[in-house]
Amino acid sequence: MIRVNNARIHLQPAYVLHQRPYRDSSLLLELFTPEHGRVGLVARGARAAKSRLHGVLQPFQPLLVSWAGRGELATLCGAESHGPLLRLNGQSLISGFYLNELLLRLLTRHDAHPALFDIYRETLPRLVVEEQRALRIFEKHLLKEIGYALVLSHDAESGAPVEPDKLYAYRLEQGPVRYDGADGQGAGLTLRGASLLSLMNEELRDEQSLREIKPLMRAALALYLGGKPLQSRALLINMHKTMNPPKAAQQTDASAEPA
Amino acid sequence: MTPSLIEQLIEALRCLPGVGPKSAQRMAFHLLQRNRAGARTLAHALAAAVDSIHHCAGCRTLCEAELCKQCSDPARDRSVLCVVESPPDVLAVERATGYKGLYFVLMGHLSPLDGIGPNEIGLDKLAARLDAGGVKEVILATNPTVEGEATAHYISELVRVRGIKPTRIAHGVPVGGELEYVDGGTLSYAFSGRREM
Repeated sequence: MIRVNNARIHLQPAYVLHQRPYRDSSLLLELFTPEHGRVGLVARGARAAKSRLHGVLQPFQPLLVSWAGRGELATLCGAESHGPLLRLNGQSLISGFYLNELLLRLLTRHDAHPALFDIYRETLPRLVVEEQRALRIFEKHLLKEIGYALVLSHDAESGAPVEPDKLYAYRLEQGPVRYDGADGQGAGLTLRGASLLSLMNEELRDEQSLREIKPLMRAALALYLGGKPLQSRALLINMHKTMNPPKAAQQTDASAEPA
Repeated sequence: MTPSLIEQLIEALRCLPGVGPKSAQRMAFHLLQRNRAGARTLAHALAAAVDSIHHCAGCRTLCEAELCKQCSDPARDRSVLCVVESPPDVLAVERATGYKGLYFVLMGHLSPLDGIGPNEIGLDKLAARLDAGGVKEVILATNPTVEGEATAHYISELVRVRGIKPTRIAHGVPVGGELEYVDGGTLSYAFSGRREM
């Protein structure tokens, strides 16, 4: 790959995935852009009292960003908002953190994913209205973009098309296999053909499909996330415990006492 | 070979924010050449502060006594609790408003991607304090950043399940500001939070 040193990039659409304080008044940013993928930048002076970047460099805010420099960490030259601020709140905010954490963990820097950028942009507002469905569809696209697309259309053993009213055991990294309930081959990941097809067609409008697809996505992503648990998911589980007062707690799988 | 005392001092000064090797060296030589009395005072003040300043048992802010000035003041309203991110925020609210309730200082905000969860910012202590009773309203004065909002939301749930009223400070256009120069995010908050008059 040929990369021009000291390249200057002008007004690239971007989202802040993560920011953390750096030295006295600067920020270290992780951005997601369509043409340059995940980029690490230093925003010099962004935390200074007079900086106008304060309100702009927030996660989930569509931005136009310019930067210059080479190597792993370039320098931010300018950032302006590019569209109205998306107001995520509460639960959808934490789901937004979850999306960002997935991108930080699974994308390597400077790998362009223009299609995924579009999906990300479309997914954010949908977190407010149809959170679970939006998350599952995003996860499906993310797996495809990093090269581990799920097989959803046909039986991995026989090659026959998936039938809606049959049961399948999902073998990770292979695909669905017809499940007759006899030999314990399922190891937990059994689901209806209808759910697989629903995910393939990005419908996921019924509760049952959503319920069956969630563990499949969790297991598939876990393969590529390595052993470290996702912090945003831990926070979400914690929050459910907080929101469910003691009497409701036994319905959930949360074994620890609610806060 | 162990480093000389001067080298040790320069290295020690570098623990201050924004102090690199060059400024640390300048500070060290200034103290040794021109202001030895000041250096001694600084050393004593630092040692004394580090030994005796700790977190207030009531609100987690930094103080010398068991309870901080606000928590130990009998005249303050114990039914209102204002949650802020850091000790300077307490001073800012004290200076700017006539608030007479008590505080709870988180010493940070929820930051899921950095592994900072509810217990790291003392929400277990906050829950215990709410359970102890007497609080009728919790004012959420965390910063209007994405992390601050997440923190405020989490605490509001914690507060609501206990039958206490959570309120959030308003976001808006700064006094004396001009709409044209206000950033879009602030303006959009100000717009959606408009009030009838």
